[in-house]
Amino acid sequence: MTVFDAVKDSLIEVVPEVDPEQVTAGRSLADLGCTSIDRAEVVTLAMERLGIVVPIGEFRDVNNIDAIVDLLRKHV
Amino acid sequence: MSRAAVVGTGIVCSIGADVPSFTAALRAGRSGIVADEDGLGAPISGWSFPDALDEGPLRARALRSARRAPPPVQAAVAAALQAWTAARLSEAPVPGERIGVVVAGHNLTARYAYDLGRSFVDNPAYLPARFALHAWDTDHVGTLSEVFAATGEGFTVGGASASGNVGIVHATRLVASGAVDCCVLVGALTEMTPLHRKGFAVLGALAEADGDPAAACRPFDRDRRGFVPGEAAAALVLESPESVARRGAEVLATVEGCALGLDGNRLADPSAAGEARVMGRALRAAGVEPDGIDYVNAHGTASRLGDETEVAALHAVFGPARPWVNSTKGLTGHCLGAAGVVEAVATVAQLTGGFAHPNVNLDRPVDDRTRFVGAVAQPAGLRRALSNGFGFGGINSAVVFARAVDGG
Repeated sequence: MTVFDAVKDSLIEVVPEVDPEQVTAGRSLADLGCTSIDRAEVVTLAMERLGIVVPIGEFRDVNNIDAIVDLLRKHV
Repeated sequence: MSRAAVVGTGIVCSIGADVPSFTAALRAGRSGIVADEDGLGAPISGWSFPDALDEGPLRARALRSARRAPPPVQAAVAAALQAWTAARLSEAPVPGERIGVVVAGHNLTARYAYDLGRSFVDNPAYLPARFALHAWDTDHVGTLSEVFAATGEGFTVGGASASGNVGIVHATRLVASGAVDCCVLVGALTEMTPLHRKGFAVLGALAEADGDPAAACRPFDRDRRGFVPGEAAAALVLESPESVARRGAEVLATVEGCALGLDGNRLADPSAAGEARVMGRALRAAGVEPDGIDYVNAHGTASRLGDETEVAALHAVFGPARPWVNSTKGLTGHCLGAAGVVEAVATVAQLTGGFAHPNVNLDRPVDDRTRFVGAVAQPAGLRRALSNGFGFGGINSAVVFARAVDGG
C-alpha cells in the first residue's frame, strides 16, 4: 500500500460522502468537507494502516493531502 | 404539576426495531432473551444504523453525525428519529431554540472504553482521534442536537436502573416549566462488558443460563432467579399543550404526574416504604386516586428481593384497588439505563392499543392478591398507568401516564 493510498482510504472511511476522484495530492482536507476532528482521525487511521507512529504534534499545521503524505512517508 | 404530552415514541430493542414491531411482540409475549458465550442477554441483533434510517429529511444529517459513533449513540439517533417522525416535527416544526434534548442513562461509554482499552495497551498511537468526544456520555446529547438542530437545554441524567424515569421527570419539568416547548428524551443503550456482567453476577443479581433462555427471566414468579440484561434505546418526544395546539400535533398520551425519591442508602437494598412513597407522590401529582390507575408497568426485574419488595409497595399504595400488573423486562430483559423509557414506550403502546402484555413466565406468582397479567395478552381499555423504576443506591421513581382521550 502506498502512503497516498493509505491516506485516501482513511479519508473515504471517515467521510464516505467524498467523491474518491476529488482526493488528489493538492487538495486540503477542509475543501473535501473534513472537520479538524475528521483530519485527526484520517491521520491516525493512515498511521495504523501503514504500521507507523508519527508524533501527533508534527501534524499541527499539516492540512493538505500531499503534506500529510510527505510527513507520513518520512516515517515509513 | 403541568402536564407534558407524549407526541412521538421510538424504540430499537431485542424484540423490535420500531414501535409497530415492538408493540406486536409485546402483544404476542415474544421474548428477546437468548444465551450466548457471555451468558444470558436480550441483544439487538441483525440491526445496522444506515439500514435503520428511513429516507426522511434527516437521514443524511444522521449519517454524517453518527455513522462512526459507538453503537449506543447510533441506536439513540435511530430511536429518536422514529419519535421525531411520529411527532411530525419536520413537517410542523418547533423552533430549534425551543427544543431540548435529555438523555437518560450513565456510564454509556463503558463498552467503548473497555474495548479500546485493550487495544490501547499494545497500540496507544492508534487510539481513534474521536475518543475524547465519544468517551463522554454527553456525546449522545451533542449528536442528537446536531441531527435535530436543537439549541434549547440539553443534558444527561442518571439514576442507575431508574435512569429512564429520572429522564422522563426532567424532560417533563423542562416542558412544564416553559424552558422548552418540546423535548427529545432518549433512554440510552447500556452495553454490558464482561467486567460489568461479572460485577452483577458477584452480587447474585444475574440470572444464570440454565435450560430454555426464554424461560430464564421470571418477574414475580416464585422461581425467579435474577435479571437478564437487555439492550435497547428508546425515545419519547414530549411537548407542551400550547405547542401541541400550535402545531396541530397528535397526542398519544400525557405524563400526568411523576415523583423521584431516595431511600437514604447506597446499597442494592430496596425499601417498600421508599417505593410506596414515590408511587403515592406520583399519584397525588397526577391528582389520581389509586383506583383511577388501571395498569402498572412494574420495575419487576426478576430479582428475588426486588420483586417481593415491589409487591409489598404495590399493596401499600393500592390497597383494595387491583390494577393490571406486568413487567416488560420479562420480554426485553432489563435494559438498565434505558429501562424506564423502554417501559414508557411499552406503556403508551398498551394505553393506545387497549391491552396489557403478558407475563410469559409467570407460572407461580409470588402473590395471589396482585392482578398480574397471565401468559397471554389481556384486552383492556386502559385509561391511566403507573410506571415504576428503582435503582441501586435507593433511587426510586414513578410516572403516571394517561391515554390521550382522557388526558389530552
